[in-house]
Amino acid sequence: MSEDLVTLTIDGKEVTVPAGTLIIRAAEQLGIEIPRFCDHPMLDPVGACRQCYVQIEGQPKLFTSCTTTVAPAMVVRTQNTSDEAHTAQVANLEFLLLNHPLDCPICDRGGECPLQDQALAFGPGESRYREAKRVYEKPLHLSALVNLDRERCVLCARCTRFCDQISGDRFIELYARGASQQVAIAPGEDFRSPFSGNTVQICPVGALTATPYRFVARPFDLSTADSVCPHCSAGCNLKIDMRRGEVVRQLARDNLEVNDGWACDKGRFAFGFPDSPDRITTPLVRDHGLEPASFGEVFGRIAEWTEGKRVAFLSGGRLTDEESYALSKLARTVFATNDLDHRRHLEGGELELLWAAGLTGVTYERVERAKAIVLVGLDAEQEVPILHLRIRKAARRGAKVFVIHHRRTRLHDVATHILCRPDEVAGLLAELAAGTSAAPAGLAGAALREAGNDGVMLIGAGALDRPGAADASLAAASATGARITMVSRRANDHGALRAGVHPGLLPGGRPIAVPEDRAEVELVWGQIPNYRPGRNARQILEACARREIDVLFLVGVDPLRDFPDAALALRALRNVPRKVVQSLELGSLEPYADAFLPAAAFVEKDGHFTTWEGRSQRLKPLRPAPGIALPEWEIFASLALACGSDLGFETLEELQEELGGLVAARESVPDWPPSPAPPPMAQGLELFTYPLLVDEGRLSEGAARLKAALQEEAFVEVHPQDAAATGLAAGGRAILRTEAGQAELPVRVTEHIARGTVFVPFNQPGLAANTLLSGTFATAVTLEPAHAAAGPSGGPADAQPEEVPA
Amino acid sequence: MSREPAPQPDVLQQVGAIAKGMATVFKQTFRKDNTEQWPKQIVAPPERSHIGRHLLNKHENGLEKCIGCELCAFACPADAIWVEGADNDPENPTSPGERYAKDYQINYLRCIMCGLCVEACPTRALTLTSYFELSFTSREEAIWTKEQLLEPPPPLGTDPVDREG
Ligand code: SF4
Ligand code: SF4
Ligand code: SF4
Ligand code: SF4
Ligand code: FES
Repeated sequence: MSEDLVTLTIDGKEVTVPAGTLIIRAAEQLGIEIPRFCDHPMLDPVGACRQCYVQIEGQPKLFTSCTTTVAPAMVVRTQNTSDEAHTAQVANLEFLLLNHPLDCPICDRGGECPLQDQALAFGPGESRYREAKRVYEKPLHLSALVNLDRERCVLCARCTRFCDQISGDRFIELYARGASQQVAIAPGEDFRSPFSGNTVQICPVGALTATPYRFVARPFDLSTADSVCPHCSAGCNLKIDMRRGEVVRQLARDNLEVNDGWACDKGRFAFGFPDSPDRITTPLVRDHGLEPASFGEVFGRIAEWTEGKRVAFLSGGRLTDEESYALSKLARTVFATNDLDHRRHLEGGELELLWAAGLTGVTYERVERAKAIVLVGLDAEQEVPILHLRIRKAARRGAKVFVIHHRRTRLHDVATHILCRPDEVAGLLAELAAGTSAAPAGLAGAALREAGNDGVMLIGAGALDRPGAADASLAAASATGARITMVSRRANDHGALRAGVHPGLLPGGRPIAVPEDRAEVELVWGQIPNYRPGRNARQILEACARREIDVLFLVGVDPLRDFPDAALALRALRNVPRKVVQSLELGSLEPYADAFLPAAAFVEKDGHFTTWEGRSQRLKPLRPAPGIALPEWEIFASLALACGSDLGFETLEELQEELGGLVAARESVPDWPPSPAPPPMAQGLELFTYPLLVDEGRLSEGAARLKAALQEEAFVEVHPQDAAATGLAAGGRAILRTEAGQAELPVRVTEHIARGTVFVPFNQPGLAANTLLSGTFATAVTLEPAHAAAGPSGGPADAQPEEVPA
Repeated sequence: MSREPAPQPDVLQQVGAIAKGMATVFKQTFRKDNTEQWPKQIVAPPERSHIGRHLLNKHENGLEKCIGCELCAFACPADAIWVEGADNDPENPTSPGERYAKDYQINYLRCIMCGLCVEACPTRALTLTSYFELSFTSREEAIWTKEQLLEPPPPLGTDPVDREG
């Protein structure tokens, strides 16, 4: 980069920095600490607190170093060398403390408070103020998660700037003037931003505090360790605070390459699940009821059950890379089956292959620097929240953002939305590839073409269910020269795919049907007994329902809740003779499982999660797993031994070495046949669904405050014209009927949804939407108004499938 | 390495030193005995000597002075104190203000009676008493709970365990 460099002197030391650098940043480079409150490296400078005064030679007045940029040959003197700057800083601290209640003993920030620390380091020590202090009602509950103590606020505007500049959720504002200036929220309004916890973390005093951590601990009680968020594929770096081995708080950890220092509220506050009282701590086997057993006993049983039988594996998206790899190897070498899958969507074709091989090359940094970004079938805020923040950052830097989706997303203030029906996605992408029309899709194409290498297409996993969308998006990317990647929601979907938990792909995105690729894996694994690509998740469940599978392994997945066809999942569970479940809790699989294997939670595991970009990030074991629970890879390795085989690794290091060799990014992928076009969608209304951020998912269990603040009850969203045509009214209730089931839900009418489509969230309280689906996340639906006399609302109970005849 | 032999002190000096030492011995031998025959005889310790267990004090209206701030735990050099704060129920508060101690424990196997916790306490909730009759037969017994610490100490010499001794 050819940036202009500027050399200046601070406290007698010379430093050379790029032009435009703030003095406070240049001082940091020299290791000179200037006290500050409002300054934050991710936020625009504002100069609100006046704490960072420095003297600049030749200038009559003091300057705030957080708002003043460097100039050539500037001579800056900080509190270390200038009495004037020192006096001003001491005076300012005394001033900031005038109205401060000094209630540190009951303040959650006490012990880790920048105001305490800087008052000690740079302050006057004593206050001359003897008059009554300003008093407010305390605390004010901005939401179920965030409390505001206005007395403690130093009016630095970090929180309000975060909401303006970063999240765009402008719920709080600085209000009034002078001594009555305060952070305020509109009356009756709640701080309903999924990023609200970040304001708590960056508040330099204890004015904003989080309810789940209220009065829970002091910094010296905590053992703090680095980890990675298990909730989505954004891969936010977290600091995990534990008191007596129990997780009590999670904070975002700065990593400019990933999360910039932010985390969403789910990652921050849904930390209770590893400490759930329902964790299983020993293996369980069903004889009469489920009874505790030793691992050896259970492995023996499983070996018996699987001997010469047809076995299939389903996994979730939250195994580590290592565990996924061990699973892939176990299934293929020990059980000679390729019936294994971690996905919930249909085949992703060549796009998925590229993603599996690590060839997409889109990173957060690429997104941030992009000049044009097109999202297809991705609600970034709800599915991968920190990616949403990066897209907003790119937009602030001038990127043109387009969203092709069926429903408006929270990018609406920075992006052009192209709302379409599920079956129109492929057509729009073709229009985008042509880039000639004056319609928004054409403009998006033109913007991508203009951006060239700086164009990015982000394809949500949901889009892969839409007819022809995956292939069309790949074609659009090559036509416009944009970089393209898939973005899947769950924390390690990408790692599972790269490690080969897929019916047709071996580790590193090597198609099992391609002899050369298979040979590369066989060099490490030895002969792979079965070459035929296996069944995908849907086909596995169908085969189970038809009794074509004898033993089904469910590894960290609950098809009853996760799979987009609840009835099929139930039929499968009822008709497969043996079910082995690896999970943290019994959950809804309790009545069906023949054996439970207790798994370790993410804070107890050693391994890696792979972000949507393909970045592998380390998880460290922060504490032992409860009881005799084991990390999944150890379960797989021991199971292989019990079955008279061997996975070839005894330690995690050996496993990692093997895995590293196979999933290293490859140069190219073999040709891939175009995906078969899924059946065309019927005319009429089309229902689509995807999970919202705070849903009834198992990892959010116990996060009552988070749910109180952000969770919505199930609803159905329709376009006004569709509402009129079907006789629905906003605020009323509707009966939805699909091929799979029916439900009754409150109606929301909005123009921000494509005509002819109907949205239902996947898993909110009141409705598990998979009871309405038949295998994909979209389906034909009919709507009618519910009358007061209508029966009880739908849900799992209504969708009980008929028993398959034996 | 050889050392220089120390110069020989003269005999008179040596005798003098012995006589001085023996004088001290005899003086002590015939002094009045200071040993207290505890627990047969209970001598009240000087007022405010603060040599015994802690007390968690209450306000006159019955509310606890402790606000669960953990400053005592932070100050303690022996890591003897465990505090867990919680939100007061506004209808039925345990202490004045928002915060109270949900749990409070002192481990007397660790405590060295230094009093730093008392100095740290911002509300004068925690004080040391003169009740030193602490004897335990198990580790658990040595960890005093909040209920025990809120109880003012009995007069010295009334603990049945001590009487047996
Ligand atoms: S609440 Fe905190 S972050 Fe917001 S203005 Fe006040 S001190 Fe700054
Ligand atoms: S954005 Fe995703 S990875 Fe980041 S904190 Fe939220 S759920 Fe966790
Ligand atoms: S008296 Fe000293 S050692 Fe004992 S609890 Fe207090 S601070 Fe700790
Ligand atoms: S005893 Fe005093 S210092 Fe200890 S928690 Fe209670 S109020 Fe705080
Ligand atoms: S840090 Fe510079 S004015 Fe606040």
